[in-house]
Amino acid sequence: MRCGDFRTSYAADTTIFESSYSRNAVLLCLVTLAALPAFASGYALDVVNRCAIAAIAAVGLNVLTGFTGQISLGNAAFLAVGAYTTAALAGKLGLPFLMTIPLSGLAAAAAGMVFGIPSLRLKGLYLAMATLAAHFIVEFTATHWDAVTGGVNGISVPAASLGSFEFDSDARLFYLFLPVTAFLTLFATNLFRTRVGKAFIAIRDQDISAEVMGVRVFRYKLLAFGVSSFYVGVAGSLLAYQARIISPENFPISLAIDQLGMVIIGGLGSVQGSIFGAVFMTLLPELLRALTSEMADSYPHLTTLFAPLKMGLFGLVIVIFLVFEPDGLAARWRLIKAYWKLYPFSY
Amino acid sequence: MDFFLQLLVNGIVVGSIYALVALGFVVIYKSSSILNFAQGEFLMLGAYVCLAIMTTTPVPLWAAFLLTLAFSVTLGLLLERVVLRPMIGEPVISVIMLTLGLSSLLRAVVQGIWGTDTRPFPPVFPSEPVHLGPFPVSQGYLWSVGCVALLLLAFALFFKYARAGIAMRATAFSQQVALSMGISVRHMFALSWSIAAVVSAVGGVLLGAVRGGVDGSLAVFGLKVVPVVILGGLDSVLGAIVGGVAIGVLENLSGGYLDPFFGGGVKEVAPFVALVLILMVKPYGLFGKVRIERV
Amino acid sequence: MKRTLYLAAALLAPALALGQEIKVGGIFDLTGITADVGKPYAQGVRDGVSWVNDHGGINGKKIRLVDSDYGYKIPEANATYKRLTGTEKVIMINGWGTGDTEALKEVVAKDKVPYFSASFSAHLTNPQKTPYNFFVGPSYSDVLRSYLSWVKQDWKDGSRNPRIAFFYGDNAYGKSPIEAGRRFCKEIGVDLVAEEVLPGIVQDATSQLLDIKQKGADYGFTQVTVTNFSIVLRDARKLGLNVKWGTNTWGLGENLIAVGKDAAEGVVGAMLNPPFGENVPGMAKLTEFHQKNHPADKHDTNYVRGWSYVMVWSEGLKRADKSGKLTGEGIKAALETLKDFDLGGLAAPVTYTAQDHRPTSTVELYQVQGGKLVRLKQVEQPRKQEWLGL
Repeated sequence: MRCGDFRTSYAADTTIFESSYSRNAVLLCLVTLAALPAFASGYALDVVNRCAIAAIAAVGLNVLTGFTGQISLGNAAFLAVGAYTTAALAGKLGLPFLMTIPLSGLAAAAAGMVFGIPSLRLKGLYLAMATLAAHFIVEFTATHWDAVTGGVNGISVPAASLGSFEFDSDARLFYLFLPVTAFLTLFATNLFRTRVGKAFIAIRDQDISAEVMGVRVFRYKLLAFGVSSFYVGVAGSLLAYQARIISPENFPISLAIDQLGMVIIGGLGSVQGSIFGAVFMTLLPELLRALTSEMADSYPHLTTLFAPLKMGLFGLVIVIFLVFEPDGLAARWRLIKAYWKLYPFSY
Repeated sequence: MDFFLQLLVNGIVVGSIYALVALGFVVIYKSSSILNFAQGEFLMLGAYVCLAIMTTTPVPLWAAFLLTLAFSVTLGLLLERVVLRPMIGEPVISVIMLTLGLSSLLRAVVQGIWGTDTRPFPPVFPSEPVHLGPFPVSQGYLWSVGCVALLLLAFALFFKYARAGIAMRATAFSQQVALSMGISVRHMFALSWSIAAVVSAVGGVLLGAVRGGVDGSLAVFGLKVVPVVILGGLDSVLGAIVGGVAIGVLENLSGGYLDPFFGGGVKEVAPFVALVLILMVKPYGLFGKVRIERV
Repeated sequence: MKRTLYLAAALLAPALALGQEIKVGGIFDLTGITADVGKPYAQGVRDGVSWVNDHGGINGKKIRLVDSDYGYKIPEANATYKRLTGTEKVIMINGWGTGDTEALKEVVAKDKVPYFSASFSAHLTNPQKTPYNFFVGPSYSDVLRSYLSWVKQDWKDGSRNPRIAFFYGDNAYGKSPIEAGRRFCKEIGVDLVAEEVLPGIVQDATSQLLDIKQKGADYGFTQVTVTNFSIVLRDARKLGLNVKWGTNTWGLGENLIAVGKDAAEGVVGAMLNPPFGENVPGMAKLTEFHQKNHPADKHDTNYVRGWSYVMVWSEGLKRADKSGKLTGEGIKAALETLKDFDLGGLAAPVTYTAQDHRPTSTVELYQVQGGKLVRLKQVEQPRKQEWLGL
């Protein structure tokens, strides 16, 4: 491991992996993950799959909120658009998942751009309100457009299949989710090495200066909505394949809030942080559940208390992070790495 | 015609409750530029605390009500001190998330203590409606109309003449200038949070009495009122009231006339459709202050 | 030596008991929008299981109920189902709501897990489509049909048909019997003048009520829960509506009288189970258990319902165990041998066959009179083949 920054060129400054060591570490991590189904139980894989979905959605939201500075409370709605598109395309037209997943992403991107139009005039709080409205409008559509969405009864989604191979178990789905997540994460990391990504960051930091520098603010804001919603749409599509039945209840407003929480806890403006945040917020309730069900035999009231405990823990974690660690887990991770870089001679 | 007028009257009285909750939003936003998404939870907590005092102690209604208000003042002060003060100067997203986190936390506390069943509220108003001309109206809603009128008057006077009120306006205008004029910005923030908590608690108790029961669904008012404040303008007391009534009427008319075509649910979504339209046409609402950005 | 023996016994006892355990999953709503009725039901199931375990268990084997709360959310029920069948390896499940049960019906059939729900949706009664779904009581559709027949009898004006309006929630539960109701209205000559949809959380039902006032409804049937029903009743009273109200199982109960107060007077509805403490032979074990374990608690008809479920499926488990087939398929087959299985008045006698999972078609109508639930009459619906699954 190297113990300092030795950057001598611009290329070195924008490289994804600082050293061959960090690249190998990530690769090793992926290989270990790929071997997971060999020893993990079905339920554990279910949780891992949910982590993957949450991670994709959180990366998408971070592109918009963390990198471009546009607050969105409409994430659950875009997730719904992706999921329903998959349900309709796969269920009614029988398209294979290789087509439905990107198409769902595109459908969500289109929806995201439509609801991004108010960002032409609105900023901050007011934009958050507009996306909140988007949520309720999509929810109403999902509930009442029975012909496509199946209304409140929901709609069932066939298993993703490749030839005669069906992704119908958690382990099989895992091998579908892992590459998609890895690819999208890599893409997002790369995005911020390009002109587009830099334009997003310029808009976040100071939109008027960005305009002066030749960034077409509105166009790039819309693009940010598009890219972000594409990610969320893909996550929705995977959600559809995992849950196999989609109803408006899959996409409550609290889901959008959860995802904002993931991004905040992981760290605004950090792709890596979004993944940390997503995994953290997905595992937290599972740990709590394991703990309460372990103790439920001696304290039967805990089953009833699980829901408020989960909700309270969510609120508490958010408040604590905002007050004590506003830069999130990503910043903490950097600090830990920095500490070990110089270990045992830290100053 | 009768149908229309009855919907209109109902919209106005229901809207008065929205106006009451919106007032809390506006007071906080006016002094600290924070949109408090936990407002609905303040309301719910107020209703539960009042109910708990009434059912566990022998005090009469008015005393329970005053105790609830005292509790709300304490709650507002505490929250401002513990969680909101570190947020001064943080980006909007953090502040929004903080109030959202706070709302989960408060809801969890209420659910943990009182559970989720509907708890019957002791009868406060007679269940017989009052007739306004030919239109029957619940007595509870009339009380809420009265409260709103009273609060409007009180706030108008407060912001115009009271020292604290003027100081709050100064704080909202520019915190630095306010500080240099010897105004304690922290005290102003604390004051605004207490006022907001009190106003919400009044709304909560009224709603509990009108519905005859208290449960977790009272918290939805926090989100329902968002279109109200956007319509009226986030920093206008008058706007909150006009917006409240307008959204109440919109809900009832759209419910009455459009529900049969859409298979229900129009009432819930209409305010948000209106919200998008308002934001496109008049982003700062009917009475809000237009902010001009300069580099 | 003696101590070592005790120690060994203490160590072995749980291990032995473990081998003799039958794991049953519970998916309940303890915190969601139906928690007001979901909690007493869950308590009834738990107590019923303890009672069965104290009285011999399943031919000596103990039932272990692995229960969890899903907050009336379909995705949560989905995840819970995966956990119960995957990690906990339960042999059957005692579930709850309509939306989640209908969402799970295909998986349940594929995994061969007998699934009891407190959703009385008629969509779950056709074994051709939903072979592993069961419930205990008449379906929502049969309840609505019975109410409509009562309306037809109650209506004395010969010059025109009675007019009725349906109120239902914007969810799978609310919409479940509506199609059956529409058809039956036509069949017997009741005019359906309006259908009003209520949101999940009702704050104010004035606009819906004004609509039915305009359309001149004489009767209103609600397919919602107690909390929302009491708001409808309150607003109807405020508007001075002259409408007679009816409801299904979930709208009627001791709690309606507490929350709805005097506005609940005169409501007619179906009770699938008697109120707690009613003088029926099956109630003795409940009151005895209640006295022994938690005499201070209050119970209602939903608590009785929880018990009645346990009585039915534990009988299924016993029969399956006797024939040595304690598997999903075996339990299903055993349940399908139940014929007029008597519950001592805790619920109507239950019959399942391999072609028909309608447990009963007898509906008990009750009315709120003077702040009490009074039994009105019994309505028997024919078991028509074309009504199976509708």
